[in-house]
Amino acid sequence: MAALIEVSNLKKDYPMGSAGVFNALKGIDLKVEKGEFVAIMGASGSGKSTLLHLLGCLDTPTSGSYLLEGTPVHTLSSDQLAELRNKKIGFIFQSFYLLPRANALENVELPLIYAKIPPSERRRKAMDVISFLQLENHAHHLPNQLSGGQRQQIAIARALVNKPSLIMADEPTGNLDSLTSQRIMELLKKLNEMGNTLILVTHEADIAAYAKRLIKIKDGRIISDELMKKN
Amino acid sequence: MASAQIKKEEIFGLWGTFVELVKVSLRAIMASKMRSFLTVLGIIIGVLAVVTVLSIIQGVFASFFKEFETMGADTMFIRPNYEMFKSHVEGIRRLKMTYDDALYVKENVPDVKDVAPFLMSTDQISYRGKKDSTQIIGTTESYITVNNLGLDEGRFISNVDVATRRKVCIIGVDIIDKLALPPQCVGEEIQIGRGTYTIIGVQEKKGGSFGQSQDDIIFIPLTTGIQQYGQTVANQVFMVVQVKDARRMDDSVDKISTALRRKHGLKFGQEDDFRIFTVEQVRKIIKQFTSISTMVVTAIVSITLIVGGIGIMNIMLVSVTERTREIGIRMAVGAKRKHILYQFLLESVTLSTLGGVIGLVSGWGLAHFIVFILRKSVSETFPPAYVPIWVVFLSLIFAALTGAVFGVYPAYKASRLDPIEALRYE
Ligand SMILES: Nc1ncnc2c1ncn2[C@@H]1O[C@H](COP(=O)(O)OP(=O)(O)OP(=O)(O)O)[C@@H](O)[C@H]1O
Ligand SMILES: [Mg+2]
Repeated sequence: MAALIEVSNLKKDYPMGSAGVFNALKGIDLKVEKGEFVAIMGASGSGKSTLLHLLGCLDTPTSGSYLLEGTPVHTLSSDQLAELRNKKIGFIFQSFYLLPRANALENVELPLIYAKIPPSERRRKAMDVISFLQLENHAHHLPNQLSGGQRQQIAIARALVNKPSLIMADEPTGNLDSLTSQRIMELLKKLNEMGNTLILVTHEADIAAYAKRLIKIKDGRIISDELMKKN
Repeated sequence: MASAQIKKEEIFGLWGTFVELVKVSLRAIMASKMRSFLTVLGIIIGVLAVVTVLSIIQGVFASFFKEFETMGADTMFIRPNYEMFKSHVEGIRRLKMTYDDALYVKENVPDVKDVAPFLMSTDQISYRGKKDSTQIIGTTESYITVNNLGLDEGRFISNVDVATRRKVCIIGVDIIDKLALPPQCVGEEIQIGRGTYTIIGVQEKKGGSFGQSQDDIIFIPLTTGIQQYGQTVANQVFMVVQVKDARRMDDSVDKISTALRRKHGLKFGQEDDFRIFTVEQVRKIIKQFTSISTMVVTAIVSITLIVGGIGIMNIMLVSVTERTREIGIRMAVGAKRKHILYQFLLESVTLSTLGGVIGLVSGWGLAHFIVFILRKSVSETFPPAYVPIWVVFLSLIFAALTGAVFGVYPAYKASRLDPIEALRYE
């Protein structure tokens, strides 16, 4: 069976106007199996987000190949990528990225709308995830009526609702206080224990410590990749 | 079985997506009500103008042609030449056409088969405490044959009724409802103005034309009408003339015209103080009228389209920029380009259609208000404003179309955004 993620010699260049291009990723080789919990660490500007966007099918590489469950992602059109994001990937972002005018429930339903799920089923599935996270009381609140931690939990519910193969989190605790951060990380850990595959970008060691595998990036290259000793 | 299941889900999905899009559109529109309103102001004003102008013109049109409705090829309609004067009111004051004129034409022009003189008024009517008002036609026995009318029950006005000024009436079917008359109403007595009249007949249902019911009417003997409604009305007796040979219509028109000129003592070179309308002429007027209103509509609609459309495009472009983040989020969770395209397209169509609805309703209101003012100031009988259904559909379709055409570019721009760039935007 193919690995969940299989990346080889992945490169990403950004055009820099007259100065040519900037090599944000300089050849990444990476394999992630189903059920893993990977943390990616590195200094600011090292290319963590760029890599996560490529793995999350939000962006296309300049060169190299990327197989997601055997599908050659690097060859897909923008609509095919959209479908892949919809069906296989759940995103969690540092600043939550909820729709401000939609309530919590509607935000969680969003991926299901694009998956063409009928309204009643959509509602039911979204409510299931919301109650799993014990947020029923907030289902009809707008994002600005929720605390940061609650917002991030709603964003996590949205990432989970379509039962993705892969959950991507880019500094999910970056905007949260340390206690809330811990709670969110416990939640992500629990999700992993339930069988979800997670890839987490962070630059805080104690956040990365929740993962099972740690990848360090510097200047667009992987400099270390090791399993973490559990205490 | 399985394929039917899939199909059903697909339809649900499509419908669900559509409903979701409309909801999102309305939410976005409502989030900034004032801006949305100002955006569609162009469309509102355009539709308002079209509806106001057309509904007043159509009302005049409808009341004007009501008189010609039943005209056959062998009949002509004659009325005073109100066009001689600046205003209709002045025409009514200065011009005379009487029962005598009708009798004169019938006796002195051999081409004429029959003449139906008639006067028109509106009056209060009541039956056992139930009150209303309707149009009153005072006429003679000839009216029913000349105009090809039918009766459901009873009889029409007779010679004797006219000669003895009897207080009898024939009612249109709408009157039964208006006054809550019993089903067998022939023989009942109703109040018309200050007089009590016996119903002697019920006119066959004729239906409506140009938005006015032809059944909301009461016929009484001409002489009774002259007695009841006085000199002003008695001096405005119109006539429908039936000729023996429709093929010699033009010739007959000339002869009748000569007879009437003689009767009115007009000298050579003086303008006719009456006007004769044949079916042919009425057709010509309808055609002219239609082309004028089409021109007016086309002109206003084009201006609406351009002015309103540019406003919408402008705001939609701003809206796309403001909501770049939202677009990014939607793309990140799986929205394809077409989803974003449809979302913004639908939003601009919803916006412009709402503008169309507001324009329609306020145009309807304004037209009725203008008619109200005209009735107070110019003439109490100014015809009611009337909005034909095609005007309703046309203005809504044009409004929606404007939104669609001018929404395409902003929506396309939104759909071409790069997900990452859109998410990063702030
Ligand atoms: N659209 C872009 N155009 C040009 N350069 C870019 C673009 N996106 C990223 N970069 C550059 O690529 C490099 C890697 O960016 P990336 O966002 O992946 O860093 P990061 O590791 O996530 O940093 P941080 O920890 O600050 O989020 C940076 O030097 C950045 O300036
Ligand atoms: Mg980053």
